Amino acid sequence: MTSERDPHTMSRRQLIRHGAWFGAAVGLAVVGGEVLSHIATVAPTAQIAQPTLRFAQLSDSHIGFHGTANPDVADSFGRAISQINNLGYTPDFVIHTGDLTHLATPGQFDQVKQMMTGIRTPHIFTVPGEHDSVDDAGQKYRAAFGAGTRGDGWYSFDVAGVHVLGLVNTLNLKKLGHLGADQLEFVEKDLAPLSADTPIIVFSHIPLFAMYPDWGWGTDDATQALSYMRRFASVTCLNGHVHQLFSKTDGNVTFYSATTTAYPLPHPGDGPAPKPLTLPAGQLHDALGIREVTYTKGQGALALKEEKLQ
Amino acid sequence: MTLRTLALNFGIVAGLLVSAASHGYLYLHGYRHIPVVGTGFLVLTSVFVALAIVIALGGPAWLHAMALLMSLGAVGAFALSRTVGLFGFVEHGWQPAPHAAISLIAEVLTVVLCAVSLRGVLRSVS
Repeated sequence: MTSERDPHTMSRRQLIRHGAWFGAAVGLAVVGGEVLSHIATVAPTAQIAQPTLRFAQLSDSHIGFHGTANPDVADSFGRAISQINNLGYTPDFVIHTGDLTHLATPGQFDQVKQMMTGIRTPHIFTVPGEHDSVDDAGQKYRAAFGAGTRGDGWYSFDVAGVHVLGLVNTLNLKKLGHLGADQLEFVEKDLAPLSADTPIIVFSHIPLFAMYPDWGWGTDDATQALSYMRRFASVTCLNGHVHQLFSKTDGNVTFYSATTTAYPLPHPGDGPAPKPLTLPAGQLHDALGIREVTYTKGQGALALKEEKLQ
Repeated sequence: MTLRTLALNFGIVAGLLVSAASHGYLYLHGYRHIPVVGTGFLVLTSVFVALAIVIALGGPAWLHAMALLMSLGAVGAFALSRTVGLFGFVEHGWQPAPHAAISLIAEVLTVVLCAVSLRGVLRSVS
């Protein structure tokens, strides 16, 4: 009886040897990943105990919306507020990036304003969405939320060494968002005295980048505004409107679209128009959420943490 | 081990380490906060370093196949991030410079060298 082995099959010893190589590769990868994530998370917090600036972003609460995509948007917005109140710290401010209401009625503005008084933070900032100015070019919005703003509701402020701009690109809409000559002049003059190492944060409702122009997801004169920001080391643009997370970098500028607290919209180009999506039961809150933003002095980029609605 | 094999291994290890260094640097400097993509950078960095070590130690040929597939995946992800987007993440051209260009060149080099190495192995088997 012969016991000749097929040269194409693997002996037990070879199998063990290959298994050892595989195990070594997996083990090294796991150790490497642990080391890198440890460096990323522990080292900065060891040097600086607390971030310089912490704030939260809410967007597209659409108070007053009635539909199967979310039968109770007020409840979802209340949960989002509760989530912010339970972050474990008090955010320096909270920004709502527009579409606070669904149809800009006085009752809806009253309801959303009352709900937002429950947010535990020293300052609340907002920018209007197109739903907040459906019939009056934003007059009711400015009456409710426009105190201290300029022009049609735009503003800027400095906090913890960061310069923040709140822009309005939902008035004079044709298809895309629009800033207008007055606001562009404001941006140019506002940024002119700042040093190039000042971190810039920009809030707007409609994206300042061309996310999907066919659906109006872009701003026709944003290039002009962004040209005033090119000299800065770090520019972070936070927007709402598209009801989904999306990010893009373009040179020194990073754009982050936020999700919503109301109802999801389709991904760009999925279907003929951005209509509210009705998700299967139990999946809605996974599509909704809030965003935490942290800035630590000395670190160029802002840190974003997306959180699903609880 | 022939001089040719040594040279190929050296090139593959160098390509993997350069790409890992680029992705690791970007991960530590902001990219870790980008949903999904940040985790992808962490995984790519650690797997590329692990592959570089085991290939440098003279591991079997299938490690070259792994390196080839992973590098092809990285090149594909780069292409997606410049076109239709990768998990909602889009970048323009060669941003962030110079890391985008460095890692892409390193990954293409790794793919080519791994393909050459595997071709030699297949020939010797047949």
